[in-house]
Amino acid sequence: MEPEGLRYTEEHEWIGEEDGLYLVGITEFAQEHMGDITYVELPEVGMEVARGQDVSVVESVKAAGDVYAPVTGVVVEVNTILEERPELVNKDAYGDGWFFKLKSVNRDELKALMDFTAYEAFLMEQTE
Amino acid sequence: MRQTALRDHYEAHHAKVVDFHGWALPIQFSGIVEEHLHTRKHAGVFDCSHMGEFLCEGQEAIAAVDGLVCSDFVNLPVGRCRYSAILNEKGGIIDDCVALRLKEDLLYLVTNAGPVEDVGDLLQAQSPAIRNLSEDTAKIDVQGPNARKILLELGFEACAPLKFWNGLRSQWEEQEIIITRAGYTGELGYELYIPNEIAGALWDRLLDHPETMACGLGARDTLRTEMGYPLNGEDVTEEKTPMEASMDRFIAWDSPFPGKERILAQKEQGAYAVLMPVQSHTRQAPRPGFDVKKEGETVGVVTSGTYGPSVGAGVGLAYIPKALAIPGTAFTAGPRNLSIDVADGSLYKEGTCRVKVD
Repeated sequence: MEPEGLRYTEEHEWIGEEDGLYLVGITEFAQEHMGDITYVELPEVGMEVARGQDVSVVESVKAAGDVYAPVTGVVVEVNTILEERPELVNKDAYGDGWFFKLKSVNRDELKALMDFTAYEAFLMEQTE
Repeated sequence: MRQTALRDHYEAHHAKVVDFHGWALPIQFSGIVEEHLHTRKHAGVFDCSHMGEFLCEGQEAIAAVDGLVCSDFVNLPVGRCRYSAILNEKGGIIDDCVALRLKEDLLYLVTNAGPVEDVGDLLQAQSPAIRNLSEDTAKIDVQGPNARKILLELGFEACAPLKFWNGLRSQWEEQEIIITRAGYTGELGYELYIPNEIAGALWDRLLDHPETMACGLGARDTLRTEMGYPLNGEDVTEEKTPMEASMDRFIAWDSPFPGKERILAQKEQGAYAVLMPVQSHTRQAPRPGFDVKKEGETVGVVTSGTYGPSVGAGVGLAYIPKALAIPGTAFTAGPRNLSIDVADGSLYKEGTCRVKVD
């Protein structure tokens, strides 16, 4: 997916629409910061998630962290390939490295997330 | 931050530099997993110049150092290395170390960066014949199944006959260097102790070789954790004795050492927690600080833990009560009750460090 068309959280998740569903992953900044990703735990399909809920786990050689639902919705699909090939998150954070897909997302929450320009500015503040 | 003689040579290999015990050192170059796997398959080159080196001249100085460590350095044969621990009066480990007997009356001692000031003070208080060479000495480790072949191609003929845990003095570019066949990765490998002035030239020469890769502290850590080797300051502290640190096979019970009474009592009573390698059953890793539980009750703690790229699972080291520290025993660790097993020896079994040479 093109990063310019995505929405972002302050916890470095991205969310973007494809064929009526919403893909969620972690950002290029997040994967770069974590280094080699070695383990991904995905949510269950059918799970109803609330915005900010920890729904996934990501680990690298150096660190472990939670992935939060960027908006309220229902998990309809998870990227099971990551269980065997977590390095895809490093290689293609906005593509093959997606974590899960949501349906019935809360549109107001989605609109409230940062767009690409706002996220870029947020990263600048973070790294200053 | 302090810098090694190789600081200006990191950028060419895309280093990410971090603060390690006050030293600016590369945590990684191309990536921890890639560097790790390259070392296991070919050879990795590591800058370890932050470590401490001491030269002990004369029988008196050697005996003085011997009095501080749990092993026997006095009877260490010429040309051999020995792993040991420098102890405080209570038998706690100030630092772990490696000694090389260069000559009958010359002992080379290698220590860690963290406690190097304290260790330096302690050693030099023993004898004026113990010199701290750390400031002027760079250390480059070449580790991996192809390490010997590579060094021979680059003119280090002296390393050809070296057996595991042996070392010698040699020359390179008309400068005196020390080579040991040792390391911290479990692979066939050599540690090169060289004057700072030639460190950059040697680093570049090694990395110009097509089979080598620059490796950082991250890969050094995953490699040593897979082998179950402890890291001073993380797994081993002044609170721990050599018995607790699983160093009992390095204790010379016939010679005196600080805290001997306490350490002997531990050995006889067996009532202590011992450092053991542990492994998870998935890619999820135990992490430092995780509590270790048996049937819901906390019995120990994880001190090192990461994903082991060559094991394909989480690997670590944990303190576990001696009575429960039996290979194959299952525990859970951390807030999410990760399943871990106590391992039998190293977690990675295919290491080439002991390979015989002609």
